[in-house]
Amino acid sequence: MRLTVNGNPIELDADPDMPLLWALRDLAGITGPKFGCGIAACGACTVLVDGTPVRSCSLPVGLVEGEIVTIEGLSGADGLSVVQQAWLDEQVPQCGYCQAGQIMSAHALLEEISDPSDDDIDNAMAGNLCRCGTYPRIRAAIKRAAVEKAKTGA
Amino acid sequence: MANLGKIARRTFLIGAAAIAGGVAVGYYVYRRPYPNPLENELAEGEATFNPYVKIGADNTITVIAPRAEMGQGVATTLAALVAEELDVDLAAVTVEHGPASYAYYNSEMLAEGGPFPFFEEGVVAELMRGGMGAFGKFLGLQGTGGSSSVRDGFDKMRTAGAVARQMLLAAAAERLEVPADELATANATITHEASGRTLSYGEVAAQAARLDPPSDQRLKQPADWRLLGKSQPRTDMHAKVTGAPIFGVDVSLPDMLYGTVRMSPRFWVEPVKADLSKAEKMPGVVKIVPIDTSYGHGFGVIAENTWAAFRAAEAIEVEWGEADYPQDSAAMSAFLRDALAADTGDALRDDGDVDTAFADAPHDKVVEAEYEVPFLAHACMEPMNATARLKDGLLEVWSPNQMPTITRQLCADVAGVDTEDTRVHTTFMGGGFGRRGEMDYSMFAALLARETDGRPVKVIWTREEDIRHDTYRPAAMGRFRARLGADGLPEAVDMKIASPSTIASTLRRTFPSLSPLGPDKTIAEGAFDQPYTIPDYRVAAVKADTGVPVGFWRSVGNSFNGYFHESFLDEVAAAGGLDPVQMRLTLMADHPAAVKVVEKAAALSNWGETLPAGRARGFAFTLSFGSWVAEVVEVAETDAGIRIEKVWIVADVGTALDPGIIEAQLTSGAVFGLSSAIGQEITFTDGMAEQSNFHDYDAMRIHQCPAFEVAILQNYHKMGGVGEIGTPPAVPALANAVFALTGKRIRSLPLTREVDFA
Amino acid sequence: MTVLARLLTAAVITMLAASPVHAQDAPAVDDDAIAVDREKGLPEWDKIVAVLSHPRCANCHVEDAYPRWSGAHYGTTRIHAFNISRGEDGSGFGNAALRCTSCHFSSNSSKLHGPPGAPLWHLAPAEMAWWQKSSAEICAQIKDPERNGGRTLDEVATHVRDDPLVGWGWVPGPGREPAPGSADETFRAIERWAAAGAPCPAD
Repeated sequence: MRLTVNGNPIELDADPDMPLLWALRDLAGITGPKFGCGIAACGACTVLVDGTPVRSCSLPVGLVEGEIVTIEGLSGADGLSVVQQAWLDEQVPQCGYCQAGQIMSAHALLEEISDPSDDDIDNAMAGNLCRCGTYPRIRAAIKRAAVEKAKTGA
Repeated sequence: MANLGKIARRTFLIGAAAIAGGVAVGYYVYRRPYPNPLENELAEGEATFNPYVKIGADNTITVIAPRAEMGQGVATTLAALVAEELDVDLAAVTVEHGPASYAYYNSEMLAEGGPFPFFEEGVVAELMRGGMGAFGKFLGLQGTGGSSSVRDGFDKMRTAGAVARQMLLAAAAERLEVPADELATANATITHEASGRTLSYGEVAAQAARLDPPSDQRLKQPADWRLLGKSQPRTDMHAKVTGAPIFGVDVSLPDMLYGTVRMSPRFWVEPVKADLSKAEKMPGVVKIVPIDTSYGHGFGVIAENTWAAFRAAEAIEVEWGEADYPQDSAAMSAFLRDALAADTGDALRDDGDVDTAFADAPHDKVVEAEYEVPFLAHACMEPMNATARLKDGLLEVWSPNQMPTITRQLCADVAGVDTEDTRVHTTFMGGGFGRRGEMDYSMFAALLARETDGRPVKVIWTREEDIRHDTYRPAAMGRFRARLGADGLPEAVDMKIASPSTIASTLRRTFPSLSPLGPDKTIAEGAFDQPYTIPDYRVAAVKADTGVPVGFWRSVGNSFNGYFHESFLDEVAAAGGLDPVQMRLTLMADHPAAVKVVEKAAALSNWGETLPAGRARGFAFTLSFGSWVAEVVEVAETDAGIRIEKVWIVADVGTALDPGIIEAQLTSGAVFGLSSAIGQEITFTDGMAEQSNFHDYDAMRIHQCPAFEVAILQNYHKMGGVGEIGTPPAVPALANAVFALTGKRIRSLPLTREVDFA
Repeated sequence: MTVLARLLTAAVITMLAASPVHAQDAPAVDDDAIAVDREKGLPEWDKIVAVLSHPRCANCHVEDAYPRWSGAHYGTTRIHAFNISRGEDGSGFGNAALRCTSCHFSSNSSKLHGPPGAPLWHLAPAEMAWWQKSSAEICAQIKDPERNGGRTLDEVATHVRDDPLVGWGWVPGPGREPAPGSADETFRAIERWAAAGAPCPAD
C-alpha cells in the first residue's frame, strides 16, 4: 500500500483496516500524531488529508485517498510555519500532547477562514481536547497567526 | 491551634507511607550525601560538578531537572534556578530529566504531610516538617507531587549552579594565574577584564570538576536575578510545537515489539476462566501472557503493532471474578453515609468546644447540609504506557512517570532483577495530574519484557483501560453544620468528611505487606487547614474504604474539600444575610496574606457591582500547597444552558519565579476543576466503572472555556506551590455562582445533575 | 407516469382548487384526491414512522443546528459533544476545520463508541426535522416537496432504499441499535402506503 505523507511516498505493508494513526506511528515511524482515545473524540491524532483535518485514529488506512500532512510536514526548511510560530510566541503548550492535533486543526481553520472570529474558533477547535486547559492561549495564538498571515501573505 | 499535643502523639499515615518506603528501599544513609549519578554516564569530554550540572569541553551545558515535566513547566523553572547562579542563559543549556536516583530526593513533597495548616509555625509543626523532609532524603524518594518541585529545588538547584560557577572560576584563576575575584562570568564565559583574556566554561570544566566544592556558597540576592522572577520561554516549547518524539508513547527502539493490557474491570480480582485461543490466532499477535500484580490481574498482549495488540486484547474471552466491595455507586454512597453516622472520625482541627456550642443552639440559628462528590478519573491526554527491555540481566524502563526511584524498585521486583540492574528513563508526560505517580503501567511493561527474549516492548493502554483502571480521585461525603451568631457570623462550625483513604489505597498496591495506621489528613485537607478563625471549629476525617483504588488527583483532598468548605460557607453567609466576601474577610482577619488575596480578587472583579439580569458571580478561597488562592466565577444564563463567562484568580505564592508559567498553571488548574464540575463522574455498576472514553467522560472544551484574569501576589514569607492550587476554589466559586444565578444550592457534583451548562 | 406521480399531480390540482375544507391539511397531497384507504395505509405509515423517528434517523433530522447522541453508554438523548453544529454555511456538513467528515468516514468504525460512518455524512436540512416530531407532523413533512427535498413519494421510497447514508440506519456499527426492519422493507412500506393514498394519522 502506498501513501504520500508530507510530500514523501511511503510504501507500507498494512492491513487496510488498520487505522491510519497506527500505520503512521508503528509502521512509518511518524509519531507527531498522538493516540488519545481511538474513537475520534479528542483530536490528538489529527492529520490533514488533502488539506482537510481528519482523526487518523478512526480512519482505516485502506480508505485514505489523498496527500497526508502531519505536524512534521508543517515546518519547512525555512523553519516553523506561521501557526507553529504563533504557538511558540504565545507559549501555548503545557504537557504538549494534544498540541500537534490542535495545530493541525488551527492550520486548516486559517486556510479556510483567514480572519476567524471567536465563534469560528469555537466551531473549529472544540473537537480537540486539552486537559491542561491551554484554550485561552490557543485562541490568542490563532488570532496572532491570522495577523501574521495577513502581514506576510503566507 | 488547640490540641497540638493530642495531634502530635498520633501516627500519621503519610509517615507510615514514608516508613514503608524506607523499609522497602532499605537505604539508611540520611546524613551522607548520595553519590552523583551523572558520574556513571558522562560522554567523552563531559565533566560533572554535582547531580544537576554537566559541562562538555565544547561548552555544552546540561542541567538536570529531575522532576516530571507533565505540562507544569517545571523543567524550565528548575533549569532557570541553576542557570541563574551559573550565569548562563536558559537558551544556552540543554535540560534533561536525568536518571532515577536517590540523589534527586524530594524533601518538600512530604514536608506538608503532617496534620498542620501551612500557616501553623509552632515548634511541633516545624519539627514535623523537618522530620518529614528528612524522610524524603532518607528514602531517596525521587518524586513529583504535592506542588513541591520548585520549593524543593529552590535552594538545592541554585546552590548547584553557584557551586559549579565558583569551581569554574577557581579553575580559571589557576589557569590564568590571577585571583578569582578579578574574574567575571557571563554567557558561559569567564573574563579577566584587566587583561581582556577569556576562557569558556568548557575549556576549564574538566579541571574545575576535579576541585573540591567550596565550603561557602553565596547565592544571588533576588534584586540581582536575571532570569528568576521573569517569564522565561519554556525550554520544551519548540519540541512541543513540532511534534517531536518526546513522550512515552513515542519511544522507539531497534527491534521493538508492541503491546497492551486487558485487566480485570472489577478491581483486585482474578479471571475465573479465560479462552485466549481466538485472540492468539489473530494476525500480528506474538504472545498473550497473564499479569498478576499488586495492582490487579489480567492479560498482557505482545504483538507486531499496537493495533494488532488492541484487537487481540478485545478478543480475549474472559470471565472475571466477583467484586468483594460495594457493587454500585448507590451502595458506595450508602457506605459513606453509614461511615459518617457511625464514626466520630479523627478531628484534625478542634478549636473551642463544638459539641457544647451546638447542644444549646436555637434551631433557627443552625445551618446544616450534606455534600457529596463522585469518583473522578485523571484522563491524562497520553494514555498510560511504558516501554521495557530485559536483556543480559539489565532491565531498562522508559516511563512517563512521577516517581522514578519507586518505579525502578517495583519494576525490578516484578521482572526479577536487582534494583542496581534496573534503569528508569523518564520521558516527558502527556499529562500527569497524579496518575503518573503510580507504578502499574511501568510494571506491566517490565513484566511483558520478560517474555520477549530481550526485545523491547512498548505497552500502550487503550483509553478504555486507562479510564476503567484509574486510581480515582476518591468519592467523598460530608456533613456540615454551623451555628450563627446575632451578627450573622458563624460562631461554631462542625465538619465531618468521609472518604476512602488515598494513602491506604496507595500502600495496598505499592507495598501491600504494610498495613496503614492512623488518620489520613488528605481526607480533610482543604477543610481543616483554612485560615478562618471561628471560636468553635471542628473538622473531622472518617476513613471509609469502598474498595475502589483511589489515588492522588490534582490537588488531592483539596479538590473536594475546597468545594465542601467554600460552598458551605457560602450557605452560611446567605443564611446570616452577609456578603460572602465580607464574611470571609472578617473570619480570616488573623491572616493578612489571605485578606490581601481576597481583597485583590474583589477589586479585580469589581465584586458587588450590579450585574445585568441573567448574570451572577460566585466566590471561593482555598489555601492549598502553601499558596493562598481566591477565585471569582461569573456565569450567564443562555438558551443552551449556563455559560461560564469569566474567572478571576488571585494567588499569593510567596515568591513567583516565573509569572508566565504560574499564570498558565493557575488557569490550567481552574479549567481542571471546572471540567469536573460541569460533567465528570465515574460511576460503578456490577463492581465496574461505567465510563470508558471521552464520549462519557469528557472535559471542558474551548467553546466552554471562560476568559481569565489572573493576579499573582508575593506577600507571604514562605514559597507556595503552583501546579494544583488553581483547582480547589474553582469548583465552589462556580457552584456559588450557580446559586446566585438560579437560587439552586447544589450539594453534589457534577453540577450537571441539576443544571445544564452551555 | 407512475402511480405516485399521478397522485402528486392530482394533489396539486386539488390544491389549486383551494378547497376550504382541506386548507389545514398537508398541502402537497390530498388524502381524498384518490381513493384513500386509511385502514390499509395507516399500519404501513406506522412502520415507516417507526423508522423515521428512530434515533438512528431522527438524531440527524433535527430542527436546530445540533445532531443528537443517544443509546447505551450515552445517557439520555443529548446534543452531540464537541460543539458540533450544522455549519455556518447551513450545509449540514459542519464548520471550517471541523466537518462531519473529519470523523465520520465512508464506513463505520469497528470500535465500540467509535464514529459511525457512511458516505457524505451530514445533517439533514432543518425543514426535514423528525426529532421530537409527532407521527402526524412527520407524515405531513414527508409528503411535502417543499420540505422533503422536492421528491415525489416514489422518489422518497427509492431514496430510502438506495441512499447509503439512509441505509446506514440499519447497519449502524457496534453497540448501536439499528432502525427497525430494513431499507427494502421500508421502501416497500412506503410504496404500499402511497398506494393506499398516503394517509396521515390524525395525531
